[in-house]
Amino acid sequence: MSSEVERRLEGLFAEAPEPDPGAGEEALHRALHALQPVAAPRRGLRAAVLAFATAVILLVIAAGSLAAAGALHVSIGARAKPPTTIQLTLPRGANGIAAIVDGRLSVVTKSGFRLQGLPASAAALSPHALYVAVGNRNSIFAMAPDGRRPWSRPAGGRVVAIAWAPDAIRIAYVVHLRHRFALHVIWGTGTHDTVIDRSVRAVRPSWRRDSLALAYVGAGGKAIVYDLAHQTRSVAHSRARGAVEGVAFAPGNLLAVATDSEVGVLRRGLNQLQDHGQIAGIGWTGRWFAVAHGGAHPVVWLTMNPHLGQIRPGGTIDAFDAEGHGIALAVSTPNSTRVIAAVSGDNVRTVFQLPRQAAISDLQLG
Amino acid sequence: MREPSDRDLVRGARRGDREAAAALFRRYWRDAWRAAYAITGRRSLADDVAADGFERAFTALGRFDDRRPFGPWLHRIVANRALDLLRAERRLSDEELPDTPDLAPAHGAGDRSLLASVAELQLERRVVVVLRYGVGMTPKQIADALDLPVGTVNSRLARALEQLRESLEVEHVE
Repeated sequence: MSSEVERRLEGLFAEAPEPDPGAGEEALHRALHALQPVAAPRRGLRAAVLAFATAVILLVIAAGSLAAAGALHVSIGARAKPPTTIQLTLPRGANGIAAIVDGRLSVVTKSGFRLQGLPASAAALSPHALYVAVGNRNSIFAMAPDGRRPWSRPAGGRVVAIAWAPDAIRIAYVVHLRHRFALHVIWGTGTHDTVIDRSVRAVRPSWRRDSLALAYVGAGGKAIVYDLAHQTRSVAHSRARGAVEGVAFAPGNLLAVATDSEVGVLRRGLNQLQDHGQIAGIGWTGRWFAVAHGGAHPVVWLTMNPHLGQIRPGGTIDAFDAEGHGIALAVSTPNSTRVIAAVSGDNVRTVFQLPRQAAISDLQLG
Repeated sequence: MREPSDRDLVRGARRGDREAAAALFRRYWRDAWRAAYAITGRRSLADDVAADGFERAFTALGRFDDRRPFGPWLHRIVANRALDLLRAERRLSDEELPDTPDLAPAHGAGDRSLLASVAELQLERRVVVVLRYGVGMTPKQIADALDLPVGTVNSRLARALEQLRESLEVEHVE
């Protein structure tokens, strides 16, 4: 017999809210992406395939005999026009590469993990590209090389930037709340989510190489270094004319900062930034400081002064990442959008080519 | 025209028929989401849990025995995912969470006291209550879904109802 409490429970759950239509669309996309068709065994089809394979084998044997006799010239793999779209490929020497194209994530790693088309607002590869952290709608989650999601956490807003610490233990992420951006740090296991700063700018944080501190841009446009061991924050003073728009820790724990037109490495007693025109991004590759210039003559300078090396991408630099032993650039021209990368002294290669309308908003080399 | 059965849709989805898979999704999305919401108490978590549930279900569709009903199987995945998430979160008792439970404000004022009492139930008891009264599963289906003996499900339900009755009585006296 149904008790009073049971009746009230049924009524209570009947009043539960409805899901948002947007959440359903996204979930449907994810679900369809996960679909793994299993071919139903069909005897007729199997027989046809067997007959076809036998015919091909006989044909190859016959062609081989004729070729050996000089009566037939066999050519396999005739030249075709290069495709306009090239799938994301792993730069030689890299552990992984991730790009967000028109709001969808493409990632490929050395372990063989490949994914394309997952809706995402930000992404970051873990050290050695073993995992990828993804921001999607109001969540942040990790993906393993087999596509599993070891964890997923609500972020309270849209995740706009993610940075995985070099020791892989922590992940910093910036989330867009209603009227502000907030900086969080979460463990790589998806636990211990902590707010570091409730009001920051939407700039990807940069971890110090010992993973015990991270640099980010505060709401006032200053570069700030947060020390995780002591839970203290300090402003990295620079004589910047404008707001800081990029931060990058160097291997020697020096901090580089960039505004939209100035760049510099902050050292004790030396915090003057140099005017560099239009800055598209900064980073470090090995010992070299890399500055990507936008503007009319896009170029990436490796090291600061004197300029020892440079890459002229031949198009507008839309996104830039320098990490470990290489650099990657998203470059748009009137004809195409592409990602070019150079790792460990290898030549610059195109690793991703898309139609010209495609917009690459986030790029990371692991 | 006859509405395709779950089994028809499952078989179509297995063959890679995206229309069949989408129809299956639409048939169960609302229930799965509401179950996830009732267990987690948060919209944002419900979005994730229900989406994860479908993703896992579609990944494992090849192993699903289509002589059995699809709904309870999906709810099992959703409920377990919600439990995993909440258990992980519970371990973070003293840490700041980015989202606060929003179960109460989302509901009408009608039975807020009962809602608060449900939210206070132990996680294991709350899940069986949600699956029984929110999703409409029988104790046997819940037992199958959570890999528990039917007796355990019945005792959890009985204890949960007893606790709810007591808390409502206390409130009434006050």
